Amino acid sequence: MHASISTPSTTQAVGAVLVVGGGVAGVQAALDLTGLGLKVYLIEKSGAIGGVMARLDKTFPTNDCSLCILAPKLVEAGRDPNIEILTKSELISLDGAPGNFTAKISKQPRYIDEEVCTGCGQCTLYCLKQIGDDYNENLGISNAAHIDYAQAVPTSYYIDAKACLMLNYQTCGLCAVACQAKAIRFDQKEEILDLAVGSVILAPGLGRITKEVLGRYGWGKFADVLSAFEHERLMCASGPTGGAILRPSDKKHPKKIAFLQCIGSRDQTCGNNYCSSVCCMYAIKQATLAREHDPSAEITLFYMDIRTHGKGFDAARERATIENNFRVIYARPPRVEDVFDGGLLLTWATEDGKHHYEKFDMVVLSQGLESPDDAEQLGQAAGIDLNNYLFAQTGNYSPLATSRSGVYVIGAFQGPKDIPDSVTQAGGAAALCSGQLAAARGTEMTKAVFPEERDISSEEPRIGVFVCHCGINIAGVVDVRAVRDYARELPGVVYATDNLYSCSQDTQQHLINIIREHRLNRIVVSACTPRTHEPLFQATLRDAGLNRALFEMANIRDQCSWVHMQEPEAATDKARDLVRMAVAKAAHLTALPEQQLPVTPSALVIGGGLAGMTAALTIAEQGFPTTLVEQGDTLGGRTLLLTADRFGKDPRLTVTELAHRVKNHPRISVRTRATVASVSGYVGNFTTTIAEKAGSEVVNHGVMVIATGGRPYEPKQYLHGQSERVLTQLELEHRLASSRPLSAKMKQVVMIQCVGSRGADLVYCSRVCCGQALKNALRLKALNPELTIFIYYRDMRAYGFLEDDYRQARELGVIFIRYTPENPPRVLRGHSKSSPLKVIGYDPLLGEEVELETDLLVLSVGIVPEDPSILSRMLKVPVTADKFYLEAHVKLRPVDMAVDGIFVCGLAHAPKSMDETIAQAQAAAGRACQPLSRGSISPEPIVSHVDPELCIGCGACETFCPYKAITIDKAVKPRKAQTLTASCKGCGVCAARCPTMAIDMGRFTFDGIMAQINAFGESV
Amino acid sequence: MSDYQPKILGFLCNWCCYTAADSAGVGRYQYPPNLRVIRIMCTGRLDPSFPLEGLAAGADAVFVGGCHPGECHYQDGNYHALVTAALVHEALTRLGVNQQRFLIDWASAAEGPNFVKIITQFTEQAAKLGPLGSSERLDPVLLRQNLAMAAKTARDRKIRMGLINASKEMMKSGDFSRTAIAGLVHDKCNKVLTELIGESAL
Repeated sequence: MHASISTPSTTQAVGAVLVVGGGVAGVQAALDLTGLGLKVYLIEKSGAIGGVMARLDKTFPTNDCSLCILAPKLVEAGRDPNIEILTKSELISLDGAPGNFTAKISKQPRYIDEEVCTGCGQCTLYCLKQIGDDYNENLGISNAAHIDYAQAVPTSYYIDAKACLMLNYQTCGLCAVACQAKAIRFDQKEEILDLAVGSVILAPGLGRITKEVLGRYGWGKFADVLSAFEHERLMCASGPTGGAILRPSDKKHPKKIAFLQCIGSRDQTCGNNYCSSVCCMYAIKQATLAREHDPSAEITLFYMDIRTHGKGFDAARERATIENNFRVIYARPPRVEDVFDGGLLLTWATEDGKHHYEKFDMVVLSQGLESPDDAEQLGQAAGIDLNNYLFAQTGNYSPLATSRSGVYVIGAFQGPKDIPDSVTQAGGAAALCSGQLAAARGTEMTKAVFPEERDISSEEPRIGVFVCHCGINIAGVVDVRAVRDYARELPGVVYATDNLYSCSQDTQQHLINIIREHRLNRIVVSACTPRTHEPLFQATLRDAGLNRALFEMANIRDQCSWVHMQEPEAATDKARDLVRMAVAKAAHLTALPEQQLPVTPSALVIGGGLAGMTAALTIAEQGFPTTLVEQGDTLGGRTLLLTADRFGKDPRLTVTELAHRVKNHPRISVRTRATVASVSGYVGNFTTTIAEKAGSEVVNHGVMVIATGGRPYEPKQYLHGQSERVLTQLELEHRLASSRPLSAKMKQVVMIQCVGSRGADLVYCSRVCCGQALKNALRLKALNPELTIFIYYRDMRAYGFLEDDYRQARELGVIFIRYTPENPPRVLRGHSKSSPLKVIGYDPLLGEEVELETDLLVLSVGIVPEDPSILSRMLKVPVTADKFYLEAHVKLRPVDMAVDGIFVCGLAHAPKSMDETIAQAQAAAGRACQPLSRGSISPEPIVSHVDPELCIGCGACETFCPYKAITIDKAVKPRKAQTLTASCKGCGVCAARCPTMAIDMGRFTFDGIMAQINAFGESV
Repeated sequence: MSDYQPKILGFLCNWCCYTAADSAGVGRYQYPPNLRVIRIMCTGRLDPSFPLEGLAAGADAVFVGGCHPGECHYQDGNYHALVTAALVHEALTRLGVNQQRFLIDWASAAEGPNFVKIITQFTEQAAKLGPLGSSERLDPVLLRQNLAMAAKTARDRKIRMGLINASKEMMKSGDFSRTAIAGLVHDKCNKVLTELIGESAL
């Protein structure tokens, strides 16, 4: 493992990385890399970054608006002076060695100069040549001169060379006449660039299931059979129907919609015998949104297995299914037929052998994910091996490393996966590059320059209000234009407008222009939540020459349109109130000086299992000292309970070797039999007391990683602990690794899935148990092919390439019986101790109960996280109801905690496999090293300040401050309180307790809050 | 009274309750549209005058939402908020305002549904009470004037010294129960409150 890290860095490594692919994985990798001091060339085949996520309306499981959460990242990447985005570009070849590659890039012309184009759109208006709108899945029309979507980065139009009349027939050229900026360049030619880079990250994304496969289900033949991508665009406000789900055939709202799963997945006939991992969940999302669009729609989902194995997915699915009255059928309709009356006929057979048929208004095909169309070409150009499904070949213990050292792979090209896993891998690959290129860190970087701040202290408030539609997320409920008009009349407001998406890159430029043009000195954005979007807009303020403290948000989405969906008028009133309150506060905002605090360049990792060790090693390899705290006697954690992986290798060997490397690493200090007794401080400056047997020790560190792990659920059911014939999968693993794994008399084995999981004890799915059962079933079969194995399951969650194991198990004769939670199998003892157990369960195929005699009963139990209550309270980080640590954002910040400088990985976050744990630990290590490599942090200046005129030196503030951030200087008479800016975290308890109200808080001033309260009172 | 919509002002801490409110939105959990939120970093920042000013300015009810006890992002800000809340309740009692018009409660960042439950119930309760003054059988105009006066009182140095002492004793005793805190605040502020606002109207 860590193939890259062990590579000795050659002479003068280049501190730059090539990222191939500008989807969410590539963009995240680029941002993480510059955060680690490496320059990035981000190449993208199409005309804009954003990838598939930019085409999604919403993301599961939270149904968060996809572009709303992606756009800030795109804008950030577009703005970053150390990310060079090359669109219409492809990798042709990669020469050289790790640390010193030369990447040959072919850059196709855009025919519109990116630097000159203002994004005004005149070229599209005048373009005579219509083409299918690829961004909208060809459900709409675009022009040869076009931009993919409004929020596209770069915010520049380009010309489709295949369609353009001028380029093909030397006629037209109207766009060149229409373009006032004179940006049209018909004479642009392909450029070949040689880029010097130290490492490469491949993130080309996913390929599409072929039209032939979709065609088997009537797609292309019947208008109302839609691919899921098409359906996604229909749901989207910026889609071809403006967010109305209309049947293509008659533009009517479909009342009966069927979702067919596993289209192009789990299908040997199209060569894709893997599970695409995401479709079960995205179908639930699409079905939920279809109901949101039309509450009278009846929705049926056809599943083979419901594979919603991600964190919180089962809960989200169950809630959606119940609330929306979804009909879920376990069946795979083989085809779609047209019955010539506008209906689509589905026929299917249920498990009991009965045949059914029914008509639907619309059928959505949940298409799977394929390897990219040009996977072989890319593989060749990058010099890496592919697996038999043409995804990049990686190892179980080095999930992000390709067969070529220095070349990493992330996202769907590494294997089908969802957004958080892709984002996680991006962070992990960035960390590996950062380790490999540690010596070259910062060598290729240029510093971001902001214009000088305008002094507004003597100006009257000139407030600008920007009200966001957020597609239909806000505008679908709140009357945005009415709110805008209302804002125009508010005191201090000199400008108010509305934007389709306030967070898009073109809107940022627009904002800057308006701020300058109207000399605005306070900005109110009325949109989503400041918790996610404030930093983006604050950066825009800085670009416009305003101090970032002159900003306020009114949260009219998360706390208004989304929670009052059925009450548009009340929601609009509320939005008006919130805007009025924000404007009132804004008038009191003042510029605050920026602070820069030094960072202690070291890390603390809590937990010495696979996750913790990997994180510690990945941090140390990046050049930062790391303390690893493990409460047990030795390193290794629960991975040591596994005796084989699905490739037949022994994980214990890898973990032991890893432990050896960790213990002997010059930058890692290992403390076993140690626990964290207390933590204080904040990002960049934590102080932790470690309790060890010999006493306690204080460690200063800049960041920390939580890797406290999990343990197997201990079953009390099914005679476990009462009969020697009942084992858990881990106990079976132990036996399988022993000298006499099976007795010769053993004829029949029964396994039961979800013991304790997805039910009363552990409500969640533990993700790995299905794969483990398959692996162990195959191991048993390898030992004794005559052995009969039954597996009772609810949904066989053999996601990704585990499907291969599922297929192989079936081919080897393992018998799978589905059970329902209402009717689980029961176990009875045999007549005597030596006689086999009896497992009685309902067999849906036979339609009756069957009694199986079993020599061995194996229970697939779930994963329980180590109790987080003490540590989470100490660190002030939230945990979920299931006691897993709650990440800052489930999609885009999957390893960050809500508290800056704290990261999580491994089973402490959620159940996951070894390769997923390694990738996540590497990601946590990468994210953790960002503040360390920057060397300083600039926290928001929301600190307290004391008015010495009013202060009476009573010392109450000093008593109550939790951070010793305010003190009474006893040497000076009269005594006065003083804020230590570096330590203050802005909680404001000092201000609330000050007897003379001498203390006030930055941005949350007494006057500002009073203004909000009074504005609340002036309700409409 | 069925059409009556109470006006509710909320002070939510950035780390728990405000986040819970956001996550309720992301999950599309629906709740009554009566709440208007002011975001503060910590409930510890809640000046004792803020809830009273809110009622004086036109709120029929005020909600303060923080992290669960023991889980404050800033260690113990929510305990100090309980001290502040006890003073607000004292003041309301003296003015004859129904105590149920002011609520301090908790929802963690992961508890969107819990936040929705709290707000739904609080809104229903406020709706039952009717506009400020109606359940109290007091003239609302006069009542709001008195509330504004009480808010001013809450900025009085003597009252705040009382709160400092109550907070100090709470931290010393380690007893963070609402009754204990209410007792402390009563002990420390009773005299000054009587002096400035008068005896309980009840």
